[in-house]
Amino acid sequence: MDAKPTAPGTGSLKAQDYKSDLKPVWCPGCGDFAVLSAITKALAELQVPREDAAVVSGIGCSSRIPAYTSVYGFHSIHGRALPIATGLKAARPDLTVFCAGGDGDGFSIGGNHFIHACRRNVDLTYIVMDNEVYGMTKGQASPTTEPDWTGSKLTPQGPGVAPFQPLEIALSAGANFIARGFSGDPNFVVRLIVEAVRHPGFSLVQVLSPCVTFRPEQRAWKETTHADWAPEAASTDRREAFLRLLDDDGFTTGVLYKGHNPVFAPPHPSSANLADLEKGFAL
Amino acid sequence: MNSLAEFLAHAITLEDESAHRFDELADALEVHHNGDVVELFRKMAHYSRLHLADARKRAEGMDLPHIAPWDYKWPGAESPETIEVFDAHYKMTPFHALTAALDSEKRGQAFYADVAETAKDATLRALAAEFAAEEGDHVNLLQSWLARTPPPDDHWSEDMDPPAAVD
Repeated sequence: MDAKPTAPGTGSLKAQDYKSDLKPVWCPGCGDFAVLSAITKALAELQVPREDAAVVSGIGCSSRIPAYTSVYGFHSIHGRALPIATGLKAARPDLTVFCAGGDGDGFSIGGNHFIHACRRNVDLTYIVMDNEVYGMTKGQASPTTEPDWTGSKLTPQGPGVAPFQPLEIALSAGANFIARGFSGDPNFVVRLIVEAVRHPGFSLVQVLSPCVTFRPEQRAWKETTHADWAPEAASTDRREAFLRLLDDDGFTTGVLYKGHNPVFAPPHPSSANLADLEKGFAL
Repeated sequence: MNSLAEFLAHAITLEDESAHRFDELADALEVHHNGDVVELFRKMAHYSRLHLADARKRAEGMDLPHIAPWDYKWPGAESPETIEVFDAHYKMTPFHALTAALDSEKRGQAFYADVAETAKDATLRALAAEFAAEEGDHVNLLQSWLARTPPPDDHWSEDMDPPAAVD
């Protein structure tokens, strides 16, 4: 305990220590504020030294998140956050690696990478802030948008396409930990992130995170979400987890699955120095 | 609530998270040049920090327990005096801001009042009652401000060109 009483916590690093000095430029009311807060609280709960963590993102409103944290960060290119995070973890297995972004970045532009990241099962935590819309480009249908959503002039009759099912796909493709949270219940999201980091392998945490500017009706998610997948009762059996998904209305929160699939890690982590690396590029 | 240390751990987090959320919203609304609401939220953050300092002072020399964020005994999903993230809007008016702030102060007051009523320890009950009374002062103040603030018209949120994130 610190000599001066502060917010409770046994460690010396507080959630605020993991925030950068940069002020988020998200719209007031955006659910991503709560996710940022949840990530920093989770880091404080885990007491990860700031130099031992990294947040990698792609492009989109939520992908700005590395800039708002004080750990290492990589605001990369659209849909390519997962390969970069995977490479980082393979090269530096000592780091706690987070990958973060939105539904468009992760499931459309980066959809193929998502499948193979699940399959590869590298030990990292992927946090997807899912608002079912492309907010940064002013409100177009995303891969998780309902087929009858008529809020965009680009799809006045609705996208007419069945939404992408991230949890089903993650489970099919081999992800080792699968959870869903809601940014209106941020302390529960902290728990999901902490459990995701502690569980070996690829962890998906889908966070339903309302876009109050282009999908204001999503404020009602606080009435429709229900925490029925208790983390302590997470399924360790894929068949059972699939059956749970058949009954899922898309608003169940908690931990769906904790698997024991083999975690991919290079047998000999790279220890090459700069000179060794340069030799490899010599003509 | 079982002990004074547990109660103060809750009170410190309650006031700390309340101040942070008010400041966070003020920062976000500053981007949208919503000066009146920014000023109001800064003021509310200041009040929460005063309470935070008081709670910390009372906890001096005590061994506060570590409580994981999901293990706090809050009546709702978040600490009670925290304005709900989704209550904010970039075009919100002082009327909306005061209403949201009033709701948060009422929740804070109710939390302390409940501890004052249900705790077994007499010292703890007295301290919680004191905190509830202080929150009650804020509630009264906000109610008087709100009474002097005109409500917005029905079209307050209309915007033909809604914002995108600012680079």
